[in-house]
Amino acid sequence: MKSRIFALSTILFLLLATSSGVANPGGKGDSNRDYTCGGSCHGDPSLSSTSSAAIEVDMAPTAYSGTTTKVSVSLSNLDTSENGLVGIFLLGSKNGNNDHPEDYGWTIVQDPNGGLSNYVEVVSSNNQVTVSWVLQAPNDLGEKEIFISIHHGSYYNHNNKAYIGETDAISVNIEPIPENYPTLAEGWTSPEERISGDSSTIKVRTINTESLMVYWRLSGETKSHQATVEMIADQEWEVSLPATLGDTRIEYQIVASMGDFSNVMPWLSMGTSEPYFDGTSIGANLQSISFALIILGFMISLQSRFAPRGVPKIADNTSEVEKLMTENQGSSVPMLNDEYWSRLIRSDENPGWLWDPIDSEWVADPSFSSGGDE
Amino acid sequence: MFMTAFHHLVVGLVAGSGVIMGVCAILAWLSLYISNLEQSRTTLDRAAYVASIFTVIVIPLAVISGNYSPTNSGGAIFYNKFLFSGIAFGFSTSYLVGRFRFGPEIWHHASLANLQMISASISLGCIVILGSIGSKITLGESTLDILPFWPDFMNSVVINQWLSLFLVFFGLITVIISLRNSSVSNSVNE
Repeated sequence: MKSRIFALSTILFLLLATSSGVANPGGKGDSNRDYTCGGSCHGDPSLSSTSSAAIEVDMAPTAYSGTTTKVSVSLSNLDTSENGLVGIFLLGSKNGNNDHPEDYGWTIVQDPNGGLSNYVEVVSSNNQVTVSWVLQAPNDLGEKEIFISIHHGSYYNHNNKAYIGETDAISVNIEPIPENYPTLAEGWTSPEERISGDSSTIKVRTINTESLMVYWRLSGETKSHQATVEMIADQEWEVSLPATLGDTRIEYQIVASMGDFSNVMPWLSMGTSEPYFDGTSIGANLQSISFALIILGFMISLQSRFAPRGVPKIADNTSEVEKLMTENQGSSVPMLNDEYWSRLIRSDENPGWLWDPIDSEWVADPSFSSGGDE
Repeated sequence: MFMTAFHHLVVGLVAGSGVIMGVCAILAWLSLYISNLEQSRTTLDRAAYVASIFTVIVIPLAVISGNYSPTNSGGAIFYNKFLFSGIAFGFSTSYLVGRFRFGPEIWHHASLANLQMISASISLGCIVILGSIGSKITLGESTLDILPFWPDFMNSVVINQWLSLFLVFFGLITVIISLRNSSVSNSVNE
């Protein structure tokens, strides 16, 4: 009986000792994920609820095999947690495994954050989010499906639930690519980012392309500019885009042409990253302080070196003090008796000083006038 | 958020006081050679003196607020901002110390006047560079980009932290020794 009570108590204690947990309310970052993170706690009905958000997906109903196409996702009426974070999935199925679009022949050319992930996290603005993926259509012909799913928290979320929204299948008919259709080469993906200040070119690989034009604009701008494009090899192009600084994103659109036909592709974007730098904030502060102190020391030394004699120093009252001391000394002289002064010995080697043989010390001669070497 | 706004405010004060200090000090120095400026020397000297006191107060505030500003991403360009702040502070303080030690009479001695002018000019130059770097960070460009010899602020000279700490102590000792030597030499001179 005792052992049963002990066992039950132990189990009860262990159950009570467990801490409450929530499923990554701060997000997990962009990555490749299956539907509901592969059946994680977000998929648990007791820990999740239906999102109030409206999901709109804009995608061309047909696409040529191996060509680029754009999936735009607009979310509205979002009720997010305080940080406004929303996780958005682009899926090929909703099985809980092998849901990545690449499992169904799609290639992600660029995700909304400039990467190559099927799951991205974005911050909502005014309870709305609009993002887009650029995909390369599968080589297999026929009907294909794309799904969108979202995860987010809620401002008043006492149960720490994950709010989940999802769409029905969006059907896309993959048609055979027309002969000599100019487009991007299979497997080419847009660079995610460039180093701040880097103006090096980006390489674009195409197929069936006679000429290539690239337009660029900074994120948020409407006016676009034409970039310089140079053909460096057969179906290989070098595009010169201006260098960017800070957290600027540059967007660019590729137009591949064959004869009179031009294939205008979706806008792609490229972020800016800080170059690798091993300096630290504390190191910068220390180096800055050391520079300041060394400069100050050096300049003070130079000031002393160049200071001519007789330049008055308003902060130096030595002369006043010495004057007062002399006056005091002068007034004290008569108070000393003659016997004291008579025992002092004058020295030719130390003019201005008298030797006191009793106290064994040098005493300033009050009657001595230096005559000045100044 | 507060630190960004505060940093912008203090940077404006650094730029204003630094320019007054630099320009007035250069004009005071020029008054030694241009007779038209001679009558204004006292005013220019006092203006530069007061501006240098203010500059020495606000530069550290700008560094501290910049340290905590969200725009500080810790890259080379920010590192350069700290370094130029240190140099500007060093030369501004040198100007202030020189003026404090020798008073307005400092302009009557060519060597010391030259030193003051150099200190103020370099300090002013560093403050202009700091403004240019700030503009690069926030706007992506600077008016000084038109200069063909403008240095590349995307790189910086990084000294090991421990070596920097050693240099701080070295600098501190240098200042103390310089001040002690200056007081000794002054008493000898007198």
